Amino acid sequence: MKYAALALPALFIALFVYALTRRVRLYDCFTEGVKGAVPLVLSVFPYLAAVLILSELFEASGLSAALIRSLSPVFSFLGIPPEIGKLVLLKPFSGSGSTALLSELLAEYGADGYIARCACVAYGSSETVFYISAVYFAGSKKNLAKPVVIALAANFLSLLLGCFLCKIL
Amino acid sequence: MNVIFAVVFLAAAVIFLLRDPEGFLPAMLAGGQKAAAVSLALLASYCVWLGFFKVMEESGLSARLANRLYPAARKLFRSENKEALALACQNLAANMLGLPGAPTPLGIAATKKFLQTGDTYAADMLFVLGATGLQLLPATVIALRAAAGSAAPADILLPTLLSAAAATLFGALLVVLTRRRR
Repeated sequence: MKYAALALPALFIALFVYALTRRVRLYDCFTEGVKGAVPLVLSVFPYLAAVLILSELFEASGLSAALIRSLSPVFSFLGIPPEIGKLVLLKPFSGSGSTALLSELLAEYGADGYIARCACVAYGSSETVFYISAVYFAGSKKNLAKPVVIALAANFLSLLLGCFLCKIL
Repeated sequence: MNVIFAVVFLAAAVIFLLRDPEGFLPAMLAGGQKAAAVSLALLASYCVWLGFFKVMEESGLSARLANRLYPAARKLFRSENKEALALACQNLAANMLGLPGAPTPLGIAATKKFLQTGDTYAADMLFVLGATGLQLLPATVIALRAAAGSAAPADILLPTLLSAAAATLFGALLVVLTRRRR
């Protein structure tokens, strides 16, 4: 893990040195790029707000807890520990929320148990589908049902496979 | 998205109405607060990465990278939109390397460009690839496990990579298979 941390500084050094050899005016160029940051955040903001308000309502109303309860027999049938059900439901909406939840799960069930390993694999092999769709397609009038359903299905498959692999590996 | 928003919102609102009418507004405000906090975090990471990408562009590295990947990318995304393909390739690279916050601005820009030329297939493909956990090193998970006192924090690497790869392949396959039926 120590070496992985070297990648980022090395990446920046490599690019900036390369850019200098190409006579790029680094300061001017960097600031030019950052100019786009505020408009980009502004264009994404309304969609982000809607998705996050929705996920907060989903969670705080008890809807997600009810869904987990009703799904837990299905989960255990499919070999997914019901303890990680909340993580599975939260992950498509919120990256930071599921990160917090994952560390809670690790603290509660120990870092090396089956449940913790499943939770880690479920977290690591899935993505924040609704969040990404809100951000990537911000402002487009395109119908998102197809890509979102495909992404959710693929994430669910990785969950099944991940829990299975945790059992045999 | 309109359907999901309406269904989930109304269901949650009805539950609040019946059980906890006073909790409704605070829950929504908490969502708004999160949106503000996340936007601030996004802004911070855009400041770094948009600067980085501009330097990459100006130095000619983006163009070189794009030229090399162009044939493969054109096939994968079935698009002739060169600018969008370059962005899409950089998005995939950033995704795989797990550079935190870097894929998003690239993905947004690539999607916008794809949709401008009507390449919905390409936009779908890019989204599905990005939304199926394509990543070589799940650094966050390993760090969290190490922090929680795991004996071998990296031993989830193999199952994670395998299942994420399966998801990505499966998702891409579905995008390919559903292409004509529209």
